[in-house]
Amino acid sequence: MPQVSMIPHPCRVAAATAQSSRDVHYVVEVPARSFAPEPGQFVMISLPGIGEAPFSLTALPGEGAPPGHFELLIRRVGRLTNLLTRVRSGGVLYVRGPYGRRVDWEPFEGANLIMLAGGLGLAPLRAFVWRALARRREFRRIDVLVGARSPDELLFKGDLDTWSARTDDVHVRLTVDAAREGWTGRIGVTSSLLEGIKVDAHDTYAFLCGPPVMYRDCLRRLLAMGLYENHLWLTLERRMKCGIGLCGNCQLSGHYLCQEGPLLSYREVRHLREAV
Amino acid sequence: MDGEIFRLPRERLGALVERLARDYRVLGPVRRGDSVGWVDIRPDTVLALDYRTTMLPPRQFFAPQREVLFRFRRGADGSFGFEEPPSQEPLALLGVHGCDLTGLRVLRSFHESSCRDRVVPNRLDRAFILGLACWTPCLDESFCKDMGSLENESPAALYAWDLGDVLLLKVLTQRGREILEALAPAAATAEELAQLRRRTRVRHETFPSHLRFAPEKLAAALEAAQDDILWEANAERCLSCGRCNLVCPTCTCFDVCDQATLDGSTGARLRTWTGCQVPGFSKIAGGHDFRPTRTQQLRYRIFRKGKYMPERYGMVGCTGCGRCIHHCPTDISIRDIFRQVGA
Repeated sequence: MPQVSMIPHPCRVAAATAQSSRDVHYVVEVPARSFAPEPGQFVMISLPGIGEAPFSLTALPGEGAPPGHFELLIRRVGRLTNLLTRVRSGGVLYVRGPYGRRVDWEPFEGANLIMLAGGLGLAPLRAFVWRALARRREFRRIDVLVGARSPDELLFKGDLDTWSARTDDVHVRLTVDAAREGWTGRIGVTSSLLEGIKVDAHDTYAFLCGPPVMYRDCLRRLLAMGLYENHLWLTLERRMKCGIGLCGNCQLSGHYLCQEGPLLSYREVRHLREAV
Repeated sequence: MDGEIFRLPRERLGALVERLARDYRVLGPVRRGDSVGWVDIRPDTVLALDYRTTMLPPRQFFAPQREVLFRFRRGADGSFGFEEPPSQEPLALLGVHGCDLTGLRVLRSFHESSCRDRVVPNRLDRAFILGLACWTPCLDESFCKDMGSLENESPAALYAWDLGDVLLLKVLTQRGREILEALAPAAATAEELAQLRRRTRVRHETFPSHLRFAPEKLAAALEAAQDDILWEANAERCLSCGRCNLVCPTCTCFDVCDQATLDGSTGARLRTWTGCQVPGFSKIAGGHDFRPTRTQQLRYRIFRKGKYMPERYGMVGCTGCGRCIHHCPTDISIRDIFRQVGA
């Protein structure tokens, strides 16, 4: 087998829009025609001379993103992301991937889907929602439950509005941990959105992405609702450095999350230390 | 000729180096002050074949501490061109002890089973390894006999016993035979073979046993001890310096970083060694850390060696070389931990 190249592909940025004071949403041309990622996969994004980091795909080509494009959300948190978020429409991002496990969606057909996102977790979860909507007929009820610290920190407001308007297709519920006057929506942690949701526990899958505390709270509730452990899908994002199962940074109890994840079912990780 | 034992008078070592130098970059153990390390050698270099152990294991040559993944250069139009470095020249490594031979086997099994990347396995395939028997334990902290490394000869092409004026050499691979044939060695004499048998028997008695169980039982023993207070007891004095990772023959984790000229026009992306004991290794997005405490980090290192690696690659990730214990500033001992969980 050949050597795996670490050389990235230059990809043209079709659009760069500020999502908040620190988040920029990118629409990027695919690096190759063969680029056909699945929800939950990630790419390595870099600027030569600055560095490289993993980013979840927030929309896939033709499913939320325009054909021939994929989407990213980049939050300014350090040196690399400071410089990445200066790249504007027409600029270039250097891309490797997609990496990560490709989860087969066939078992989800005909089932109810619950999509749960906390904070920045909506970035990867968004690809799942758009996938479900792109194949809307294959699923029964779809709930999209989104939490954020405050109304200002709710990401992808345009998408949330679009999805909320599709009342026949999807049930969107939002919550924030705290809000100033003027917020008429719900206040509470993300897991509280599961209150009152009635689904057929035998035939419902949940997809979760958010901070560790959200996983614990939501898993507790979902299991109490009677959902099967292998129907609960978590994205365990780690700071991958290579994406090809070598560098060890994403290792969880002997499992390389860049290869076996980041999307894993709770049944696959429940016995592992330091998973959630 | 495979498995046959030949004799090479010590003064013919230079001829062996000369033969190897035609096909390889040749490295051997050389004394520098108080320590011995593998350095480039010539036929007349004095080899420290009685060396104890090196600080860094041979993995430094196959998965180097700092390695260019690719270089980049910004063109006139502002776009970057990329170029991968040429592949490494084949290496000949002389005088590798059993623990480090085992380390190279683990390195191979890790790379072959975890990833499609063939860089490191290819380097190992093309390398020429001359194994060297140890007559006495090299560090107080080593426990190679317990871990099955003392008598390991794989993946050496030739394996040597130093009898003083003469080296006895066993042929283990086709390549080993080709190289040795060029020196037209005589077969070992009956007296030399008798001496080899005697010294090998004495060696087995000289090397102490520290563990009372076979390494294959480690995974289960660790599993049973995962909530043991032992982890905290050791982690309390850990400084998170990461030395244990750096000197380990089976650690493989690396960081990726860029280096560029001030104007950013040219530079390289590098992989550099890092380790699970180094602060920040388990940091993730949002400032979270999925393995935040020293107790968790220490347990993770020991579990990786004794449980995760054997479960995943079929080989225990500890060779018993003792380096991590010897170089630990606070005397944390993987040998003691193995002994304690297995007791």
